[in-house]
Amino acid sequence: MRYFVPILLCLLTVVCSLLSQQAHAEQTTYEAVPDRSPSARTFLIGIGRTNQLDTYLSPMEYKGMQISFLTQSERMTHLAKRHISFQSTFQGVFTSADNPAETATYTGARLAYDAGWHYHHSPLKGLDLKGGALIGTDLGFLYNDRNGNNPAQAHFSLDLSLSAGAAYQFKLWKLPMRASYQADLPMLGMMFCPEFGESYYEISQKGVGHDILCAHPGNALSFRQMLMMDFCLPRITLRVGYLCDIRQMNAHSLKYRDTSHSFMFGIVRHFSELRIKR
Amino acid sequence: MRVKRLLSIIAVLLALLTSCQKSDFEYDETPQGNLDALWELIDQRYCFLTYKEKELGISWQEMHAKYSAKLNAKMSRVQLFEVLCQMVGELKDGHVNISTSLDLGRNWSWKEDYPENLDTELRNQYLGTDYHIGSGLKYTILPDNIAYVVYESFSDGIGDGNLSDMIAHLRLCNGMILDIRGNGGGELTNAEKLSQRFTNEKVLVGFTSHKTGKGHDDFSEPRAEYIEPSKSIRWQKPVVLLVNRSCYSAANTFVRNMKEMPLVTVMGDQTGGGSGLPFTSELPIGWSVRFSASPSFDARMHQIEFGIEPDVKASLDESLAADGKDSMIEEARKRLSGQ
Repeated sequence: MRYFVPILLCLLTVVCSLLSQQAHAEQTTYEAVPDRSPSARTFLIGIGRTNQLDTYLSPMEYKGMQISFLTQSERMTHLAKRHISFQSTFQGVFTSADNPAETATYTGARLAYDAGWHYHHSPLKGLDLKGGALIGTDLGFLYNDRNGNNPAQAHFSLDLSLSAGAAYQFKLWKLPMRASYQADLPMLGMMFCPEFGESYYEISQKGVGHDILCAHPGNALSFRQMLMMDFCLPRITLRVGYLCDIRQMNAHSLKYRDTSHSFMFGIVRHFSELRIKR
Repeated sequence: MRVKRLLSIIAVLLALLTSCQKSDFEYDETPQGNLDALWELIDQRYCFLTYKEKELGISWQEMHAKYSAKLNAKMSRVQLFEVLCQMVGELKDGHVNISTSLDLGRNWSWKEDYPENLDTELRNQYLGTDYHIGSGLKYTILPDNIAYVVYESFSDGIGDGNLSDMIAHLRLCNGMILDIRGNGGGELTNAEKLSQRFTNEKVLVGFTSHKTGKGHDDFSEPRAEYIEPSKSIRWQKPVVLLVNRSCYSAANTFVRNMKEMPLVTVMGDQTGGGSGLPFTSELPIGWSVRFSASPSFDARMHQIEFGIEPDVKASLDESLAADGKDSMIEEARKRLSGQ
């Protein structure tokens, strides 16, 4: 836990540096973000709370903090008369959480990548609705600093998710703003889960074949949602928001749940088809 | 209006999906909550319950009521620790421990109730002062051209280079005394690596399984365990493996492996046992709990949790010890010299 402040300061420095570079690089003036930006790249960092339960390691729920980064790129394709966009998201999370008695600590990390397509529809001016599917993979670990032969748990999943979202553009005090929401729900895939009392020593000897399971909402109800607000400043678009990430697994009489709520902030870069004032 | 309705739906969805996560934290930090958590942990995850109930004549179901009666809401942490240790002590398992800042809860009756059959000062006299140290192995050549090797803990790493150099150094000896008395275990990989030096072919040494569910008898199909011969230099002469009641856990597994090797004679007392691979969990109060999670068996699918009988019974003769002689080492020397 004590490393969070220095790490956060480092991340803030990186973001400030990026913001500075962005401000110098962009010599154009944006009137507003288009309803559907032809291409946008987002870089966010976040800090938040996490609750972690992994009964392979402990029956107790650990609570702590997490820092994360998320990069997302979205661009409109030429499919369906430019109604379909391609989106890819890469997310990295580092967590540190303590047991209720604060006598043990989980240290964890997770990398997740997903990509897919959304169909867009605008029923009203300024409002953009989208729905689609994503293919994603998730790889991580959770380490308990005092367990003996079961010191850590590995997490791996590969899944197909349904994804839906909405964005609404408006002005507040003459400042162009954009509120957006996106939710991703994994529906079908595969995941790794050791058997109830199986050690990684045994897994290393006989392989992981029987520990790969079909994942579905019945045994791995996971969910990610983001509520973001963009502030379209003259040279830059700032984004702040809330990210809720819930990863769950219930298989082989073992339960895993990682629930995190993070405050995210960063920048968005929009490319092409922008109206430029000369 | 439509936008407002949409935003309202999103807000409700958001609230629902983030609040529907119910915690599984069912135990409280009271003495009873901690006892419940410990009892349930053993009930669901301990791998020898059926076997222990039969061998020791205990009922784990009855333990809950028996030890709950010893609790009261105002008892101190020390008192709670004692009650919990007594409860898991009924299992007579050295791999079951409660670890706290106060103490390490343990039941070491597997060695404390029996003669030690080891005098380390006496053993050191056999090693002398010019013995070799190959990582965790200490070895020398006795005057009757018998190799004498001491391995005190399987936690002490041994490399392939150490083993090759040791065997090369001792290759002209008539036999080897491998003394693991007092070895309380450590890394299973070290036990496997050392066993591989004593066979020229793949040998079935035992079976292992693991719990697949919370039921007392929910186990995976036993999986055969083999020792493959090392690809480096191997020992080809008779071996006497000296053991005592303190040979536990990985040392017990090593004895199991060596019992299947044709040139090996296991001599001494029954080993201490400890055939369950221990896992770690914890209690609401924050104390760490270790317990046997995966059982292993010998090559005939017999339990070795309470130890392995030696091929030749031997014990430390106190009268010979007074003369500076370790009767077990002397017995092993006689056997290897063909006397």
